[in-house]
Amino acid sequence: MSERRIKSIFIVTGSIFLFLFIITPIFWMMLISFSKNISFLTGGTYQFSFSNYITILTSKSLHMMDYLKNSLIVASITSPIVLIISSFSAYAITRINFAGRRIIPLLVLSISIFPQISIVGYLYRWMGNFGWINSYVALVLPYLAWTSPLALWILLSYFSQIPKELDSAALIDGAKRPKILFRIILPLATPGVLSGLLLVFIACFNEFLFALMLTSDYRAQTISVGISLFQGLHGEIPWGELMAASFFVTFPLILLTLVFQRFIIEGLTTGAIKE
Amino acid sequence: MEIRFHKRITTAYIFVSPLLLIIFLFILVPILGTCINSFFQDIPYLPKKFVGMRNYLILIKNPDFWDALKFTIFFTLASVSLETILGISFALLLKERFPGRGILRTMLLIPWAIPTVISARIWQLIYNYNYGLLNYLLQGLGFSDKINWLGTPQSAFWALVLADVWKTTPFMAIIILTGLQAIPEDIYKQAKVDGARFIKRFFFITLPLLRPALIVALIFRTADSLRIFDLVYVLTGGGPAGATRTISVLGFQYYTSADFGLGAAVSSLTFLIVFGFSLLYIRLWGIKKL
Repeated sequence: MSERRIKSIFIVTGSIFLFLFIITPIFWMMLISFSKNISFLTGGTYQFSFSNYITILTSKSLHMMDYLKNSLIVASITSPIVLIISSFSAYAITRINFAGRRIIPLLVLSISIFPQISIVGYLYRWMGNFGWINSYVALVLPYLAWTSPLALWILLSYFSQIPKELDSAALIDGAKRPKILFRIILPLATPGVLSGLLLVFIACFNEFLFALMLTSDYRAQTISVGISLFQGLHGEIPWGELMAASFFVTFPLILLTLVFQRFIIEGLTTGAIKE
Repeated sequence: MEIRFHKRITTAYIFVSPLLLIIFLFILVPILGTCINSFFQDIPYLPKKFVGMRNYLILIKNPDFWDALKFTIFFTLASVSLETILGISFALLLKERFPGRGILRTMLLIPWAIPTVISARIWQLIYNYNYGLLNYLLQGLGFSDKINWLGTPQSAFWALVLADVWKTTPFMAIIILTGLQAIPEDIYKQAKVDGARFIKRFFFITLPLLRPALIVALIFRTADSLRIFDLVYVLTGGGPAGATRTISVLGFQYYTSADFGLGAAVSSLTFLIVFGFSLLYIRLWGIKKL
């Protein structure tokens, strides 16, 4: 068989496999979420219905909207703060020659492989002493630290591509460094800032162990915790409602990811490939 | 000039201090604190008391710990190697030009964007005895017996691996694809002229040039997998009968059963294991050559 022939077989079977591999779980989630009654799987007929969605959106005792609100608040507070803190560091590391400019990025990077379990037990006690358990503060503070490697490495890669002559010119004109950072560097690194914001935002939605341990009810629990504890109103797991809640949360995240695809891929691959 | 210089250095330290401060307070202090706590007996209603290595001795004698460690390592080996093979295959596929490539590339981001807890729930439903897709398909194929996928240690292991592979292969594929695109096309043209066939080109050109990207992806994926908590906690809860407990899940169970000393000991060991593995990778393949 010629190499070209093998290649086209690989492409056809590979793309069908990849398509099915990704879509099957999503399809199952949607199918179940829109089913009026899950018993169609044990002999009934499939009936399309929005009833599961209506339940999760309207039932107060399921608290789905509370969980979602908490996740949105925690993620929206965390991501801009991380980006600002990290951009100050990235500025100093890429533009000022000081001891530590080489070791700081590596130190921060190594944090991203630390296991959360070795952090969370102590944090639980520590935050308990301050009475912070089950508050947004209890999540935002560790999330700031936890997501900073992501933000720092993306910004470093963008900042290092901006010519240093721009700073020197502005410094000679008497501009202060914070002003240079906010007026010159950050606007030029907008794609990097956007990737950073998106990745941190999604990371906050995704985080589970901190949220599970540092919050205790719907007033602060995030959507990940809510979905993990979902038991429905009557004991046995109500799969239709659970999948409706899952799809309801997943859909905007997928949309966000697809719309900003380019920035997300750039964010994921910077640091990993270049430098 | 001297004053300018000192001012610059001071600015630099002021600029990096907020980041270093939050990392110090919320990551380094807790890790150090956990390590110190692991030498104490820390149970509610009893005074905290220094017990030296006793927590570690209890762990070493506890088969639960060894089972969790074994499970974590086998899980990591299975899922990371499958993810690497699939990730490379997907990346090679998406490098080719064919109709639909753009859509597939976009789709690749979907599993990555779904929160792990949600994907764990979706897979939990797929494996469900009564309402699961797998048993539905089995019956459609004419099998009369349903399988309790999460009911035996063996099948629960592979159920977790599959769910992890689904969620994380896209990350691997995206990193590898970017690495592939950085390889100049001319190298391949020359190799083809020299008569090197696909397999040869793959092992002698693609793989070596892909190494830097691959090592970084492997370090992150291995660390992620060794410390895995969310997927396992939600999908199997560590069951059946503790057969799929990872070291992070075990640590969490000690914490929630209020034995903070033991929890801290397992957590410190988890830290050492993850850190040790990462150093090993870097030693083996040389970060200098990156």
